[in-house]
Amino acid sequence: MSAPVDTVAPLLVGFAFGGCLQKAGLARYERIVNVFRFRDLTVLKFLLSALVTAAIGIRILQVLGLAANVPIPTTYIAGNLLGGLVFGVGMALSGFCPGTVAAGAGEGRLDYLIPGGVGLLTGAVIYGLAYEQVMPLLSGWRRAGNVTFSDLMHVEPWLVIVLFMELTLGTFYWIERGRLMGASGLGTHEPVATRPLE
Amino acid sequence: VPLSLRHPWSPYVAGIGLGLVVTVSMAIFGHRLSGAGAYQHLSGFVGRPLAPGSMYWRTVVPTGVTWDVLVLVGSILGAFVAARLAGEYGVRTMPDRQWVDVFGPSIARRWLLAFVGSLLTEIGGGIAGGCTASLAVSGGAVLAPAAFIFMLGMFGGGIPTALLIYRKEAP
Repeated sequence: MSAPVDTVAPLLVGFAFGGCLQKAGLARYERIVNVFRFRDLTVLKFLLSALVTAAIGIRILQVLGLAANVPIPTTYIAGNLLGGLVFGVGMALSGFCPGTVAAGAGEGRLDYLIPGGVGLLTGAVIYGLAYEQVMPLLSGWRRAGNVTFSDLMHVEPWLVIVLFMELTLGTFYWIERGRLMGASGLGTHEPVATRPLE
Repeated sequence: VPLSLRHPWSPYVAGIGLGLVVTVSMAIFGHRLSGAGAYQHLSGFVGRPLAPGSMYWRTVVPTGVTWDVLVLVGSILGAFVAARLAGEYGVRTMPDRQWVDVFGPSIARRWLLAFVGSLLTEIGGGIAGGCTASLAVSGGAVLAPAAFIFMLGMFGGGIPTALLIYRKEAP
């Protein structure tokens, strides 16, 4: 791929990513922490909508023969799970995840930009220093490699995608059923009042 | 400014938007969406001098201004523009709401916990093989078990921590 594409494409991908995070209000402490308290399911709705859309979009491009080599993350149960636990604790403490730190910094939040950014960099250095001692222990156990559910089950990918879509839409219906039965419909989320800015 | 850029989006709409971004990033460019990865690619600038013999920075992760680092730069700019257009940009040192009710008005406490929390997410993301963006979203989009095991862990760590922090409030 040519050099300008290699520079411009990730900047544009990031630009749209940061924009979506900001429009969904994810660069806010209470948004993130309240999903763990079952008080605000914005994060869950956002995440699942993105997953279903991307699952369909990527599969269509693959079927049409337009997709590049789509990267598949590695499944190694001990690492995926333990890493997730540590990640979740950090998220609930700070109201951050690495992506929303960038979005918060863009909104002008100094607690994201400075301790958030420095914390992420420090964490990356600590992880790098411990890598050789820690990762051989975690990455070997129950390692399935770079697989998808349809690889593991030997079924057509669309089958898994449709099943996942149905589960997601069912979840959305369950979340919104009160609202759907009332006067307002899907998508009419009242804007959350933010404190007026100085 | 169009009305749609002045107001927050429904999470469903913003999520579909993110899904399209992930589709382009994964299927057209062959890159997972980056969150934690960028910091791994910057960590070598500090880590290499600290541990010159480390095979981590020699063979496992690149060091430099990579695709992931440019995504990070782009996402700061994207959030900045979106916030400006919505009138939500403002230099702040503390969360707008809720934090003070639980932790008090101390900026030092907020910044310390922000540091510790973000440090834990980066280490956890390293162990898990990705973060919310690069594993939960990008891996979930190809329906990889890794993504769903990670999300199980994420909620498994986040829920008890949040309940502990908010134990004095009614559930």
